[in-house]
Amino acid sequence: MKNILVKIIENIKLNDDYFLLWIHAPEISKSISSGQFFEIKIAGNNFPLLRKPISVFEVKNENVGFMIKKIGRGTENFSHLKKNDVLDIIGPLGNSFELPSQKEVLLISGGIGYAPLHNLKKELLSNNNNVTWIHGGRSTNDIFSSDFTFTDDGSSGQKGFVTIGMEEILLKKKFDLIYCCGPKIMMKKCSEIAKKFHTKMFVSLEEYMACGIGVCHGCAVAIKKNDSFTYKTVCKDGPIFNSNEVIWNE
Amino acid sequence: MNRLKTKLGKLELKNPITVASGTFGVENNNFIDFNSLGAIVSKTITKNEKIGNPPPRLYETSNGLLNSIGLQNPGLKGFIENVLPKYATYETPFIVSFSGSTIDEFSEILLELEKYDSISGYEVNVSCPNVENEGIAFGTDPKIVYKLTKQLASQTDKELIIKLTPNVTDIVSIAKAAEDAGANSLALINTLLGMSIDWKSGKSHIRRGIAGYSGPAIKPVAIQNVYRVSSNVKIPILAMGGVSNWKDALEFFYAGANVVAIGTYNFVNPKITIETIDNLNRHFLSRNQNLTEIIGKINGIN
Ligand SMILES: Cc1cc2nc3c(=O)[nH]c(=O)nc-3n(C[C@H](O)[C@H](O)[C@H](O)COP(=O)(O)OP(=O)(O)OC[C@H]3O[C@@H](n4cnc5c(N)ncnc54)[C@H](O)[C@@H]3O)c2cc1C
Ligand SMILES: Cc1cc2nc3c(=O)[nH]c(=O)nc-3n(C[C@H](O)[C@H](O)[C@H](O)COP(=O)(O)O)c2cc1C
Ligand code: FES
Repeated sequence: MKNILVKIIENIKLNDDYFLLWIHAPEISKSISSGQFFEIKIAGNNFPLLRKPISVFEVKNENVGFMIKKIGRGTENFSHLKKNDVLDIIGPLGNSFELPSQKEVLLISGGIGYAPLHNLKKELLSNNNNVTWIHGGRSTNDIFSSDFTFTDDGSSGQKGFVTIGMEEILLKKKFDLIYCCGPKIMMKKCSEIAKKFHTKMFVSLEEYMACGIGVCHGCAVAIKKNDSFTYKTVCKDGPIFNSNEVIWNE
Repeated sequence: MNRLKTKLGKLELKNPITVASGTFGVENNNFIDFNSLGAIVSKTITKNEKIGNPPPRLYETSNGLLNSIGLQNPGLKGFIENVLPKYATYETPFIVSFSGSTIDEFSEILLELEKYDSISGYEVNVSCPNVENEGIAFGTDPKIVYKLTKQLASQTDKELIIKLTPNVTDIVSIAKAAEDAGANSLALINTLLGMSIDWKSGKSHIRRGIAGYSGPAIKPVAIQNVYRVSSNVKIPILAMGGVSNWKDALEFFYAGANVVAIGTYNFVNPKITIETIDNLNRHFLSRNQNLTEIIGKINGIN
């Protein structure tokens, strides 16, 4: 991991809620694995105080793309960034998705949970895996390219939750691995379904972060340990965990 | 010549900047050279491993941070086996922060830590509940602080720092109790107490409700505490609370601090300690002054 200043090369508005921020980062682009994230802030701007954890959406040679959803002050500020503005970033951080080959892989995402799976899909395909992607969101704005789409309000794709699509497809076809990222409640439901179908699933978790490097113990997630549990850090031990290890109700 | 030299009791430090317990770890060596720091302070350790509080543990408020970590740490044994060796390679004095739930437990931890030469001193975290005294924090009762400090002072010749909590009616009486009992220096302030609630749902942002409050927002409170304590004791002060740059550090020196620790701001800028040292150095050079000349020299009050 490094703490460096990088320039914005492009800020692409996807719709009113989402945008894609591309940075030029030759110093670190080669060392990124899918599933990792960065702690980012606007250089010289100390409000909000804490950096914001943002996943790697895509790595293209020396450039790194972040897909961001506006939800509060910090992400709103990022949405106004323009070419040549400077970001202060720490990363790459956290563990990464295990990269199999010649497997049948299912991706499931909800809303901004789409972001970390995008680069993963690229890597899975170049590693000779078959990939099927189910994506869902509240409404049309939350929908991005995938094989099956669901919206809560029915404005795009099928009306309903991704869990419907997940059950349906698992009944029809055998998958070796599932990767999942989205709201906690969705990941919890998906992990129950994966368990029912005896399919190994990895989830990418979120938790409020301060340091992002494993020193403050702020981003705790309850993980099974023998008959009990312990707290691990999402930023260093995660963000990727085997869904069977996570205690969803803690 | 080195204009930043300072003393913290028995320790001679090459510069007055260190890190606040719980906000810094070995991973920070990705960003800075530990040998450039004045000292390093560990996360508080306890006798047994602590898994900490349920999440959410963090919440940012206006220019401040609420935390409810619950002293998560690997315990004394885990610390000695896995953490201590990682700091042993640096020249910078390494200070171990520890805590206990009874005076005997504090005493037992110190006895074990005394075996290790790579430890230069101890920061005693007294902000935790005392199980022998209805769970009331050790640091809120001058008599208990006196008794605890006296016991620990009799067990070590290394630097013994008592870290004070600001969540008391009269911090000066606690500071004096620690001084009288043989503390070599005082650290202050630990986090204030704070809370934050989601106005839409009424839900606490922190799972345990009450949390520790730190960051730039608490700086004036910290300076006030440092000023009052330093005016009333003779032993040196390791000050902290909201420092985010070298100018903040200077305020603390004028208020009476001998050494300044940076906590929350390490999260914002992991190079903040080194930048602060460089800027202080430049400042004192340009003024042809030494740090020690300004300590406690606040003026304009009458
Ligand atoms: C590992 C990880 C990867 C992420 N990847 C992406 C991504 O690729 N794209 C994306 O749009 N979002 C991502 N997020 C979420 C993103 O970090 C939050 O949306 C962002 O921090 C919100 O900040 P804000 O100031 O806009 O909102 P605020 O109004 O401050 O907060 C809204 C909510 O965002 C979350 N949040 C706020 N501050 C933090 C923080 N310091 N750390 C963690 N969560 C916080 C909390 O749940 C909070 O309730 C990721 C989060 C994590 C933990
Ligand atoms: C996440 C976090 C963890 C902390 N853990 C400890 C700790 O283990 N022991 C301790 O004495 N103080 C702990 N503190 C308090 C700091 O050491 C410091 O006293 C306080 O945060 C004020 O300084 P700051 O405003 O620069 O952060 C912690 C603070 C934070 C933010
Ligand atoms: S955010 Fe500090 S340990 Fe994860």
